Amino acid sequence: MLCIEAKSLSRSYGNVIAVDSIDLSVEQGKIFGFLGPNGAGKTTTMKLLTTLVSPSSGTITILGIDTSRYPLAVRKKIGVVLQQPSYEPTLTVEKSLEEYGMMWDVDPKTRKDRVEELLSTFDLQDIRKKKNDDISIGQRRRVQVAREFMHDMDLLFLDEPTAGLDPSARRGLLDYIKGKVQNGLTIFFTTHILEEAEYLCDKIAIINRGKIIAIDTPDELKNKFGREKTIKIRIGNVKDISSVLQGVGNYEVGYDEGTIITIHSADSEQVLVKILQALQSNNIPVEDLSVVPTSLEEIFLTVVKNSNASNISSGK
Amino acid sequence: MHPIFRLVNRNLTISLNMGFVIWQVIFPVIYIFVAGFAYTSLIHSVPFGSKNLNYPAFIASGMIGFNIMNSTLISGIIIWNDRRHGMFEQILVGPFTRAQYILSNVYTIGIIGLVSAGLITAIGYPLFFKSIEFNALTIPLVVFASITGAILFGSIASIISTRLKSSEGFNVVINTVFLFFAFVSTAFYPAEGAPPILAIAFYLNPLTYLVDVVRAGIFDNFTQTVGYEMIVLITGAVTLFIIATKLLSRLEI
Repeated sequence: MLCIEAKSLSRSYGNVIAVDSIDLSVEQGKIFGFLGPNGAGKTTTMKLLTTLVSPSSGTITILGIDTSRYPLAVRKKIGVVLQQPSYEPTLTVEKSLEEYGMMWDVDPKTRKDRVEELLSTFDLQDIRKKKNDDISIGQRRRVQVAREFMHDMDLLFLDEPTAGLDPSARRGLLDYIKGKVQNGLTIFFTTHILEEAEYLCDKIAIINRGKIIAIDTPDELKNKFGREKTIKIRIGNVKDISSVLQGVGNYEVGYDEGTIITIHSADSEQVLVKILQALQSNNIPVEDLSVVPTSLEEIFLTVVKNSNASNISSGK
Repeated sequence: MHPIFRLVNRNLTISLNMGFVIWQVIFPVIYIFVAGFAYTSLIHSVPFGSKNLNYPAFIASGMIGFNIMNSTLISGIIIWNDRRHGMFEQILVGPFTRAQYILSNVYTIGIIGLVSAGLITAIGYPLFFKSIEFNALTIPLVVFASITGAILFGSIASIISTRLKSSEGFNVVINTVFLFFAFVSTAFYPAEGAPPILAIAFYLNPLTYLVDVVRAGIFDNFTQTVGYEMIVLITGAVTLFIIATKLLSRLEI
């Protein structure tokens, strides 16, 4: 079943097209990553999907409900952690969780249990009596994310939820989210930290200048866009390696406790064979050989760069 | 629980802190008991309808209206804080509509206005109990003034909170506007005897109408003029509430 389905979705602000005719579909029980550079249209898309703003054109169906006809019915079934901080400055951490549960009409007994569970899960016990105004930005972010789990929901929107969190809190949150997904929750997740998307997401869309320029599973994205592999060969100190490798082409040489030859190209396997042959014929032993896997970050940079280049060439 | 009541509950929880209670109680008490008695040596009595009120009784009844107005500042502060601290958007992605958010603010200021009026009536009662004349209109007039006054001033505070972006600007404007309302009114002194321009200014101020209606209820002085003042209060409250609602509905997210 599709949890989110957006068709030809657009949103303009005056002459500026923030979201340009995008199509999205997110399956139930999956984590969908939404990536893009600053100003690409991520937050506007999030606002459209969460009914905060209306589309200029196109349709959105969330959990089978048309957002433009029944926005309130949609909001009752979703949770949203916005990118910007949101907190009650005068309330303590504990009280703000309790109050948020009350706002969602969670019964008092469940509220009490969930407050204790979330204070413990999100490592907020020590600051439970502190006012939101008196805690750090990272702690406030933890409270903001924890608060959203006070109520039941079928779909959770997380707009850069780990911004401002330390590595330990970040990993704790990602693991907590994974656990929730195993229990049937669907998550729409935006982040700038691509390792997070790689660690968490079942499917990823990359948006640039309001358009979706790539959408697939992380592995498929790597297969499609990650043809360039990086191979590193460490050898002993060889003074004139470039004369040994003459004619091989497409490699770089660096020196760090020996000589390191780095191959970074789409045909790296063929270059590797040529280099190994050259080394062998010159009796130069290989001390170490490693292949650096293509990261999502490289894919992201490649895809965005290609998109920007095609926009420039088409004069947009 | 209905969404509006859940929001009212939330509004009261975030607003009712010690600072606010002190502001709501200590401030008028100082006016009633310090200024009220201190000025007695200068102002022996204040003509009011067919009666002559002593100054403490006059200012104590004026403080009811003054406190209703002050308490409705909370409406602007709630909206301002919600926008500043991201709760406005957070509430609107939750199980609430904008209309419910707006109505919850109206209910909140109505409740706070009524409680404030009751509180100051109780505090000031020893001062005006000699002059008070309970009648069938006393409670309805005080309740009417509390609710229309709360909506009127709450709408003004809401309008200001939707128009200004910086916290400094919000504080300066709201304090200036409410300072004008407080002191260019009949809450502290009667219009009769004031310089003509000032007396006119008194009647350009909704607090004057609010205070006049409260006094008419407490001191049994319901006249045709008071009836007109009630119409002005209702008209002002409805008009400003519509404007505030439209501005809140159009607030960009």
